[in-house]
Amino acid sequence: MTLHFLHRHVLEDHLAGFETRPNPNHVNVARRPVILSVLAHSGHEAAVAERLAELAGGSVRFCGPGEWLVAGPALLGEELADRLGEIPGASVCDQSDGKVLMAIGGPSARKILAKCVAADLHGDVFAEGQSANMLCCHVASNLARTGADLFEIIVPRSFAGSVFEELMEMGREYALTASFSED
Amino acid sequence: MTSYRLDAGGAINRAQALSFSFDGRNYKGLQGDTLASALLANDQMLMGRSFKYHRPRGPVTAGSSEPNALLTIGSGARSEPNARATTVELYQGLVAASQNRWPSLKHDIGAVNSLLSPFLGAGFYYKTFMWPAAFWEKLYEPLIRKAAGLGKLALEADPDRYEKAWAHCDLLVIGAGPAGLMAALVAGRAGLRVILADEGFRPGGSLLSESVSVAGLAAVDYAGGLVSELSSLPNVTLMPRTTVFGWYDDMVFGAVERVQKHVASPSPELPVERLWRIVAKRAILASGAEERPLVFGGNDKPGVMTATAARTYLNRYGVAVGGKVAVFTNGGSGYRTAADLAAKGVEVTAVIDARAQSADVAPAGIRVIRNAGVVATNGRHRIDGLLLERAGFEEVIGCDALAMSGGWSPIVHLMCQRGTKPVWSEESQAFLAPNVGNSFVAAGSAAGVETISECLRDGAAKAASLASELGFAAHGANLPDVEGEYDASFAPVWYVPGAKDKAFVDFQNDVAVSDLGAAQREGFRHIEHTKRYTTVGMATDQGKLGNVNTAGIVAAMRGVSPAEIGTTTFRPFYTPVSFGALAGAAQGEHGAPVRTSPLHGWAKKNGASFVEAGLWYRSAWFARDGEKNWRESVDREVLSVRANAGLCDVSTLGKIEIFGAGAAEFLDRIYCNGFLKLPVGKARYGLMLREDGIVFDDGTTSRLGEHHYVMTTTTAYATDVMTHMEFCAQTFWPELDVRFVSVSDQWAQMSLAGPKARIIMSRVVQDDLSDAAFPFLAARAVTLRGGLKARLFRISFSGELAYELAVPAGYGEAVADAIMEAGRDEGICAYGVEALNVLRIEKGFITHNELDGRTTADDVGLGRMMAMQKPDFIGKRLSTRFGLTAADRLQLVGLKPVEPEKQINAGAHLLKEAAKPSLANDQGFVSSACYSPALGSFIALAMLKSGRERVGERIVVWDALRGMEVPADVCAPVFVDAENAKLHV
Amino acid sequence: MASLITCPHCGTRPKEEFTIRGDAAPRRPGSADRDEAWYAYVYIRDNPKGRILEYWHHAGGCRRWLVVDRDNLTHEVFGVVDAADFQRTEAAE
Repeated sequence: MTLHFLHRHVLEDHLAGFETRPNPNHVNVARRPVILSVLAHSGHEAAVAERLAELAGGSVRFCGPGEWLVAGPALLGEELADRLGEIPGASVCDQSDGKVLMAIGGPSARKILAKCVAADLHGDVFAEGQSANMLCCHVASNLARTGADLFEIIVPRSFAGSVFEELMEMGREYALTASFSED
Repeated sequence: MTSYRLDAGGAINRAQALSFSFDGRNYKGLQGDTLASALLANDQMLMGRSFKYHRPRGPVTAGSSEPNALLTIGSGARSEPNARATTVELYQGLVAASQNRWPSLKHDIGAVNSLLSPFLGAGFYYKTFMWPAAFWEKLYEPLIRKAAGLGKLALEADPDRYEKAWAHCDLLVIGAGPAGLMAALVAGRAGLRVILADEGFRPGGSLLSESVSVAGLAAVDYAGGLVSELSSLPNVTLMPRTTVFGWYDDMVFGAVERVQKHVASPSPELPVERLWRIVAKRAILASGAEERPLVFGGNDKPGVMTATAARTYLNRYGVAVGGKVAVFTNGGSGYRTAADLAAKGVEVTAVIDARAQSADVAPAGIRVIRNAGVVATNGRHRIDGLLLERAGFEEVIGCDALAMSGGWSPIVHLMCQRGTKPVWSEESQAFLAPNVGNSFVAAGSAAGVETISECLRDGAAKAASLASELGFAAHGANLPDVEGEYDASFAPVWYVPGAKDKAFVDFQNDVAVSDLGAAQREGFRHIEHTKRYTTVGMATDQGKLGNVNTAGIVAAMRGVSPAEIGTTTFRPFYTPVSFGALAGAAQGEHGAPVRTSPLHGWAKKNGASFVEAGLWYRSAWFARDGEKNWRESVDREVLSVRANAGLCDVSTLGKIEIFGAGAAEFLDRIYCNGFLKLPVGKARYGLMLREDGIVFDDGTTSRLGEHHYVMTTTTAYATDVMTHMEFCAQTFWPELDVRFVSVSDQWAQMSLAGPKARIIMSRVVQDDLSDAAFPFLAARAVTLRGGLKARLFRISFSGELAYELAVPAGYGEAVADAIMEAGRDEGICAYGVEALNVLRIEKGFITHNELDGRTTADDVGLGRMMAMQKPDFIGKRLSTRFGLTAADRLQLVGLKPVEPEKQINAGAHLLKEAAKPSLANDQGFVSSACYSPALGSFIALAMLKSGRERVGERIVVWDALRGMEVPADVCAPVFVDAENAKLHV
Repeated sequence: MASLITCPHCGTRPKEEFTIRGDAAPRRPGSADRDEAWYAYVYIRDNPKGRILEYWHHAGGCRRWLVVDRDNLTHEVFGVVDAADFQRTEAAE
């Protein structure tokens, strides 16, 4: 007997019924990202960081000393895990189902996020390519700046519904829309 | 009705009339008006009743320090009490109502208190309503509260939205008057990130209300020019309608922005108020100065207001505060008001100067009476004259408004909110801002600077200096010429002798000079005691007008300098902040984040009722058709698991993935039992202690590889255990090679329990699950039929043959569905945490009901687990101390009621038979209790003194809360399958 | 409204992201140390007013334990270091 299991995104119900045509301020929820925790072992922190900096195909998010999240498209799934697994002194652990990735972009993205996070997101302070763990809508999350007006939030799956709803509430003022993105 | 609106002038839009209502009557105002200016334009001077004596009151200011003109704005759920008419921005359709009066503002029964006022002075309540004591709560206090008061809260839920937000800047400028505007401009031009916040709806401060010309322009137009340049700078954020109400640690300022308080129907897309936390590298306090009222007989009557207020209504709103205005002053401000009024054609009947001499000159034709004092005012709802005394002679002067000026007090609240007191200046006769370091400085009249030209200069200089401290090159602004300034200096007059009526210091709380005297006589001499005895400074205005006069009067009574009296403590908030703003979006469903399990959808479609466990929603039971109450569902679920199989969501357990060559050693040190020898592919139950020897948490840890483990914790302690492990790894043993990360959310985890668990699980998992291939405590990666990778653990919390299957969360619902389908013919059911609880009580398995922060491993029967041969583990050393090993400690036992149908409840206490309930007789308590459908009896786990020796004893379960006493027999804490025969099959 | 802590790993953050464990000075005794040392470590804490070294956990950020050197009256912060580094420095001294 072969069983086929349907994969279900935790925000499926939250996004049902949303207008899919995006407004200038829009949240893209990644439907099937690959997200991996990378932990550097004692004494290997710098070497692992160096290897991550050269990594192709995944974006590296700083979480804390010797700890990162690496996010990439589903396509790269196993390949990315294998590539990371080859880094000496690093342990890798799948979080693709434990985390939800939302990209918020648009001219008012920063203004919306000012209601969600306490950190200063001015470009001189939190530049493109930077990332850090922080509370977002009261939930421990990782926030990255991926463009001038583009940010990515990675939140724990069990909290994703709450964070998403609050993010959308804070975005009402700026007509924030949301949809799944397939890549 | 007389119109007091002048034909020309003012920063108002005469083309835009706005209709509004006050106490049910319709009025017209203009765009740019405050509610107070619009009412004054309509000859409505009476706006409120005082708190205690219900005296008629009109506005005494034109700003946020207003103590009198407190109105309720809006209606129904949107009504907001105690709004200051002097700051409320007029809008089309505004509905306002007066407060603290009955039946009407003009005819208020409560005003009888005013006649009784000789008996109602300070301390009256304390002295009079002392006896009998029981009457205070039941009779006196409710009566007093009813008679004295402010507006009433709406009882309906607030329909509007609120938000909180963070802002960051190099320089925060508080107040957009001449000093603030110039400071923001200099800093903005230098490239600093600047936030300029002002409580008013139109930036400009005194530039909007003073009749000077700046750089050849009317002051109001000059202000407009500054504002438009500021608006054009991308690095400057202008925040009108925003009150900075508090200064907190680390240069964080609290501010409230009134986003939609000036519209009749707020848009649902926007909040009505937004609370800001502003993180500033530097800040400038440019909040201006408050004009002090003069303290004389009848100084509270409608029509008596500060000279600045009269000038503001005149110049900014184009409203004359009366037809015949008198002025009473001790400095230049009174003369300026007389001149401005005269210039606009308003009759000024007299300028009464408390000083014998001064250089100030009134415009030609206005009578100046020097060395005189007002001792009473006539009229009720608006004054119609005043009585003055000069050299022992009295004179009545007709007037319908009286502008008073008692000098200036810089507004320094924010700088004094972190414990530093303001400093008395003999030269300025005022309390000045204290030095709180270089990060936060006062500028302009908040810093004691008097003229507009000096304010502009001071703002520019302070901003330039802060900018260069931050490494910006500031080019000084080209300061404009200001023409038509006046000398605002004054000679202090704390109170005017010979009062023929009450002379109020604190208008809102009806505190008069005589009350301050009573406080001094009766020993409440410290200013903080004086405040509490008299209530001076305790109202919604927090004594903005009265506190400095209080210090001056008390100082004069005691014959000392105000420096010796000092001020009371300044605390946030500067002006009242609504609870809505403080709560922000955290209301209703956004009150706290919600955590949902990956099997939430599965549970829902199987009919689950949910229970909140921390932030989690867990499935409690799964009702089926025909079941009349939760117990029927739970009993069925329990029996079904014991007979066939059940599936339960255990995804909420904490899960931590642990890596490293030092992982085994690390686990060995944080668990009290041994972990070094745990083989790969095996799970082990582990018990963690706190350093004081008490049990902390329990769970299972499985070794998935040589240097790879996965730990589970209880749901409730998931975060605490993670934090504890981080503390141990980072501060005790940083040399250990161990890394770990929470994977609680990665896995959907479900427990399949019951005699038919293997048959069912084998239909979903393709690996060999025979007892030989996958024995009790086996733990490893498996593959589901169809190829999905999963983890399977043969562990049991029910005593039955059981497996916990973990699959990536997104597949959880589908896999649970597949298991239910695979078990349909075997009689599978979904079961919730209630049935889980019954199953574990029947087996005597412990949870945090038993591990309640007081129990040792031995107390719960797990003493032998402690591997005392290990050199060290957390809690080892103190676990053996005297007290934790005493023979009469509470120990885990089972209880069976003598009559099986008699219910035992958790929390009930245990007594020896026939013993009286008392602390001394207390034998322990029930930790967990349930109905066991397998036994057909209520059963319980309990903590009983020396319990293990007492098996067989009959005791009494005493439940005072429910008035129940149930005799029960003590038994071993296992009710079902004591030999664990069902586990190893 | 807020107090700020500058995490050496994450930057400046409000206190809501942290939990405080208290005095960072007491050292965990060795298993052979006297009972008194253990009682003092587990139970006895001074409650000084003023400058103090405290353990702060950046629970909403990097999840590292930090040692914050601050005045608990004024909340003036003199320095923040990672607890592991603090430990190593102490051990080296």
